[in-house]
Amino acid sequence: MQKIYQPPKSIRIKTTGLLILFLTGFLAISQAQVRTITGVVTAADTRETLPGATLLIKGTTTGAVTDLDGKYSISVNTEKATLVFSYVGYNTKEVELGSQRVIDVQLEPKKTTLDEVVVIGYGSVRKSDLSGSVGSVKAEDITKITSLNPVQSLQGNVTGVQVTSTSGTPGESPAVRIRGVGTFGNSNPIYVVDGVIVDDISFLNSNDITSMEVLKDASASAIYGSRGANGVIMVTTKMGKTTEGKTVFSFSGELGMQKLAKKIDLLSGRDFATISNEIKPGSFNNVDAVPNTDWQGLVFHNAPVYDFQLSASGSSKTIQYYISGGYFKQGGIIDKSSFERITLKINNIYNLSPYVKLGNNITFAPYSQQVAPDVTYAVYRANPTLVPYYPDGSYAVVYNVGNPLASLAYSNNFNKGVRGVGNIFAEVNFLKAFTFKTSYGIDAGYNHSESFTPAYTVYNPDGTISQQQNVMSRLGKNDNYNLTWLWENTLNFKKEFGKHSIDAIAGYTMQNTTSDGFNLSGANLIRDGSNFWYIQPSYIYDPANNVNTISSINESVDMDQYYSMISYLFRVNYVFNKKYIVTATFRSDGSSKFAQNNRYASFPSFALGWNVSQESFMQNIKWLNKLKLRASWGKLGNDKIPYWDRYARVESNILAIFGVNNDPNTGATFGINGNPDLKWEVTTQTDLGLEFGMFDSRLTAEFDYYNKKTDDILVLLSTPGYLGNGVGAKVRFNAASVVNSGFEFNLGWRDQIGKVKYNIGILGTTIHNEVLSIGGNSGVDSVLIGGYLGNGIPVTQSSVGLPIGSFYGYKTDGIFQTKDELNAYPHDAQAGVGDLRFVDVNGDGKIDGRDRTNIGSPIPKFIFGFNFGVEVYGIDLSANIQGQTGNKIFNAKEVVRPDPYNFESHVLNRWTGPGSSNTEPRPSFGGYNYTPSDHFIQDGSFLRIRNVVLGYTMPANWSNKIYMQKIRLYVKADNLYTLTKFTGYTPEIGSGDVLSAGIDYGIYPITAVYSIGINLNF
Amino acid sequence: MKTQTKIYFAILILLTAVSFVGCKKFLDKDLQGTLTQQSFPQSPADALLATNATYESLREWFYNAGGYPIFDIMSDDARKGSNPNDQATTLGLYDVFKHTPTQDGLDRYWNALYVGVKRANVVIEKIPAITMDEGLKTRYIAEARFIRGLIYFDFVRAWGGVPLVTTTEPPLKLPRASAEEIYTVIIGDLEFAVANLPLKSGYQGADLGRATKGAAQAMLARVYLFRHDFANAEKYAMDVIHSNQYGLEPVFTDANGVNGNNGIESVFEVGAIQSEGTESGGNQYANTQGVRGTPNRGWGFSRPTIDLRNSFVTGDPRYKGTVINLKDTIDDVIILGDGSTPDITYDDQGNIVEIECYNRKVWVPGNNTITQWGHHRRLIRYADVLLMASEALNENNKPADALIYLNQVRQRARQGNNSILPNITTTNTSELRDIIFNERRQELAMEGWRFWDLVRTGRAAQVLGPLGFVTGKHELLPIPQSEIDLSQGSLVQNPNW
Repeated sequence: MQKIYQPPKSIRIKTTGLLILFLTGFLAISQAQVRTITGVVTAADTRETLPGATLLIKGTTTGAVTDLDGKYSISVNTEKATLVFSYVGYNTKEVELGSQRVIDVQLEPKKTTLDEVVVIGYGSVRKSDLSGSVGSVKAEDITKITSLNPVQSLQGNVTGVQVTSTSGTPGESPAVRIRGVGTFGNSNPIYVVDGVIVDDISFLNSNDITSMEVLKDASASAIYGSRGANGVIMVTTKMGKTTEGKTVFSFSGELGMQKLAKKIDLLSGRDFATISNEIKPGSFNNVDAVPNTDWQGLVFHNAPVYDFQLSASGSSKTIQYYISGGYFKQGGIIDKSSFERITLKINNIYNLSPYVKLGNNITFAPYSQQVAPDVTYAVYRANPTLVPYYPDGSYAVVYNVGNPLASLAYSNNFNKGVRGVGNIFAEVNFLKAFTFKTSYGIDAGYNHSESFTPAYTVYNPDGTISQQQNVMSRLGKNDNYNLTWLWENTLNFKKEFGKHSIDAIAGYTMQNTTSDGFNLSGANLIRDGSNFWYIQPSYIYDPANNVNTISSINESVDMDQYYSMISYLFRVNYVFNKKYIVTATFRSDGSSKFAQNNRYASFPSFALGWNVSQESFMQNIKWLNKLKLRASWGKLGNDKIPYWDRYARVESNILAIFGVNNDPNTGATFGINGNPDLKWEVTTQTDLGLEFGMFDSRLTAEFDYYNKKTDDILVLLSTPGYLGNGVGAKVRFNAASVVNSGFEFNLGWRDQIGKVKYNIGILGTTIHNEVLSIGGNSGVDSVLIGGYLGNGIPVTQSSVGLPIGSFYGYKTDGIFQTKDELNAYPHDAQAGVGDLRFVDVNGDGKIDGRDRTNIGSPIPKFIFGFNFGVEVYGIDLSANIQGQTGNKIFNAKEVVRPDPYNFESHVLNRWTGPGSSNTEPRPSFGGYNYTPSDHFIQDGSFLRIRNVVLGYTMPANWSNKIYMQKIRLYVKADNLYTLTKFTGYTPEIGSGDVLSAGIDYGIYPITAVYSIGINLNF
Repeated sequence: MKTQTKIYFAILILLTAVSFVGCKKFLDKDLQGTLTQQSFPQSPADALLATNATYESLREWFYNAGGYPIFDIMSDDARKGSNPNDQATTLGLYDVFKHTPTQDGLDRYWNALYVGVKRANVVIEKIPAITMDEGLKTRYIAEARFIRGLIYFDFVRAWGGVPLVTTTEPPLKLPRASAEEIYTVIIGDLEFAVANLPLKSGYQGADLGRATKGAAQAMLARVYLFRHDFANAEKYAMDVIHSNQYGLEPVFTDANGVNGNNGIESVFEVGAIQSEGTESGGNQYANTQGVRGTPNRGWGFSRPTIDLRNSFVTGDPRYKGTVINLKDTIDDVIILGDGSTPDITYDDQGNIVEIECYNRKVWVPGNNTITQWGHHRRLIRYADVLLMASEALNENNKPADALIYLNQVRQRARQGNNSILPNITTTNTSELRDIIFNERRQELAMEGWRFWDLVRTGRAAQVLGPLGFVTGKHELLPIPQSEIDLSQGSLVQNPNW
């Protein structure tokens, strides 16, 4: 009998091995009865080769183990035999030997749907033991979207989550809303990256993430008590597995091209001239002779995006490790904008003894960003009959908006910095059931920004100076840093005895955040080059303009970033007989943002779960293999306000100018009033959930009803003018209530027909958002005004009974067709025949500011997603479609018109005489018809093919030839197609400010991205 | 030690550390970089800072009637200005008396005035407790009371009675005081200022621009004139004249121009630096009205009307000192104007209704916007005091005395050209009343007084009626609707709004 072939130790030996293999094969031929069978064992799901898989000849003790490349070789000396292949986590497979000599085997992974482990706060739990509502996204879905920010992958993949880009500016973070908008201020969820609490995850490379879990209901997020009100997103980064003996290298590379997904339909030069002549006869003598400049075409261009990442993971006897380096670069479709990021990741666990573990998870991410000036507005407004350049090549004047190409050419805005997030931890296991863990985490950021504008002038055609001019060069610099440390100590008790299972945790955490920053500005630099971008500490006198320019230095504590917290947390999860689950959570938080008497608040939650399918009476219902009911109730808090809100502050650096020399005399005085009585904002959330699996979990479904009521909302309210807080000044109060409620569903079907594996998912969320109260008895305003346009007019008003940030303006009901009609209706003094007819809402016979009313909500009533995937012969195809309905968009960019600007093409359907149009008024360059009204409200519903990926994973024996475990190539398209009625670049209009959501001010357009990529494991 | 023991030991240290640092103080965070109102003002230096801050509230853009010169626009002196569309539905409505309680700008004006009141109250309420030079302390308080009186006069003139705040901690709900109550505070403040402020010559050069006894007297004259108390108006105007602190600038344009900054004619002005931005010392008042287009000096709001242009007698140098026309050359700068503004606007009948022109009173030499921010807005100038004196004297049946001061103004106006603007000689008080009234228009046009002169003399209905003025309504602005809403009804709207 021949010896079992031993796996070789290196490639060099591998060659020898092949030779031996060849020779043994050769020998096998010469010895008829003793056959050598060879082959490769791969995983059916990942198509990766499986090193260390074992095979046995059935009924014997003769066997073999696959080598590093998943190859095996075994000698068989009987005619008939059965080979049994096995591998941890995979179903055992038996293959009867026929006459084949080469047998490649694919092992199917064991079905683990029921026992999927879900990461929750301060621990993890089997999905079956979970009583809360948690949505989850795994690595392969996270990397599907080409994006700087991994959170983009949640959109369309997790119910109840809405991720909206706020702008296409490279490096911009999206707005994330979980189960609606519950507060008027900062509505972003928190992220917990390997235990470190951070406010955004743009520093993470998607390839470094194993899973993201969204904790939605009170039961799941109450352990983060004070910070959980807007939802919690748990992010777990990768770690070498203890089973992974050897180092696994992974490389992923992707090249993409971004393209303006859609142009706005603006008037051509000829159309503009035609309309202009109607507004002001004689503006253009010959409309056929005017130039036609496509400003969008001149400013937007395709731009590349690159994303590379190389990682190594594995373990030795005591150390598990994962290290990676990543590089991401996104060019902007507008010049002078780009984002570049390097990510370095080091995760380790040191298993010092069976009872003691040390570890670290560290990410270090330097970045560099260039930000273009806001030219999209100018592009939208620019007169198409003007040319960009004069014959001599210099920038031509573009009246009223400035030449956007010149604005770009003279703009230099940079942000450079680094973000470091990580923690070190120690874990001690004692008395079997107890684990003590201490973790110290850091979130540190440093940012340096510079902006420089040289002195320049764009001239009028007659050589005089136009309004687009920068008289003297200007340099601005800003430096700031922030540092948060978080120290968490938890004691965990986990024990199963008999039918009881208890998992309890108690903890104590401390957090401290500081930040500081300063601004410098200077003017009249001696030269324009970047090597002169330094500020001289002096007054600079400009004799040509008789101007003193002051170099100024301002130092400030950045925003709200100066506070500390202490928290006590406790949770117990008790499961009886795998059927009944009880979870109780309690967290008490103290925040320095509140005065001593209001400092601490407690956030309890309770949840019940019932695995109905475990009951004996369910065992006969074969088609229903899983059924679970759960219910939870709890309270969550929010203190995301600037730390200074409670203080009555003194305003300093106020200048009074006295004396013959115009000397600045500094002053200081009482500034805005504070509110020393501020306390925690509290959200009470109830969740009812139903989960089931049918037909052997081919069909899985999850339904939830949620009701999230937020009280004592920390909201900035206007105060009566006589308090002297100033124009537009607001003081923070606990003075509003909002409710969000709705249903969530998530259906999945997963099956295999022959070799074709496929899955289909559909998910959706309804959102009912309603303000229950604002202000009221505080002696302050009972409506919240927001959404200010460029001319200072607000277009949103949040008031009781309406969704947050509802649009506010005149209602229109047609166009005044005749003079008689005009006279028959109450109308504004400026309205004429052919103009919009505003509705006299209060019926007082006049049209004035009091007739403005609710004209729509920016919050969608229903958000949904479909996903679909199919896999056959190594080819994978997946698509993700998402959409929303029921929301409105206010097309603000169209409204503010102090000067003659270009128009969207719908103006061509204008009113030209009685009966010609009852929707599009006679054209005008501004004025009455551009008063904010529902004429500028558009339907924000859309259906978007967000992502399509087509990939091919090479058969293992091909990749093995070049010493690869896995090779996958793919092509994909992001934002491939959007079905919408909205006329702007994108119907997804996010905003960090919930009172200005859904207002299209003319944002940097979102792009479509076409990419090719490769994943390698070796 | 064994590893296990070491670990337990480490845990023990950690837990001890936790309980040690976990004490209460960890959550006490002081306000960074900013004083709280409990800790200010404390020292003589603080007292000066608080006093200086009071002046700054007059340089705030919104102090100027909410940003835009609506009182000139509401008068027959000015139209909205800029190009036809710009602020047509906001500012444009003041031009035709179609403004409403929700009109843009009202809340800004209202709020900016109360900021000034608050700052004055800080000085008036907090400085008495500071140990410092008593003379200086009294002066600071008098400066603040002057400004508070000035601002409450802005208030009472624009709205009538308003919530009266004389402390830094007013209650959250405050109804309107009566106009009488406001006047009592104004007169009390200004009388205190007269009694305790130095003469203009009592200040060092570097302090020019601070409130003076003369400024307070002039304000009292203005207040009494508005209240038709001509005896007191005469008294205080004459006090200013007899103080021998003031005179008229020889060159008319210097009365508002850079050369006359803190000059002989300046009774009270708002100092500013040629710098874009209120924070850095500029005043947007002149930028708002500056020449639009080429040169680019500003937005071009508040445009002299045809009526104002035609009201000047031929050759009156004040015409050129009030109106900037296209193709004018001023301080070597040629005015070309704005491309989006018609040079001439006609009505349906082909009559000229507007000519592109700008307010000369805010001109600052230069060809860019930045310089324009350096305009020193004159809140009281001596020519105004002379005309107030003249008016009060005439009303007090002393026409001969009235002529002295009226003719001083006319003499300067003629700029040495004796063929124009002859001395007035009539002593018919009724005739003289009209002449003085007219003289005020010519002399003070585009400086914000015309509307109030029309209102206080009861001529508004006659002159502004055709523009939309309704007697019994438009003498006052409506209380901003936002303030009524915030007060939850405790503020009552003015009549007929």
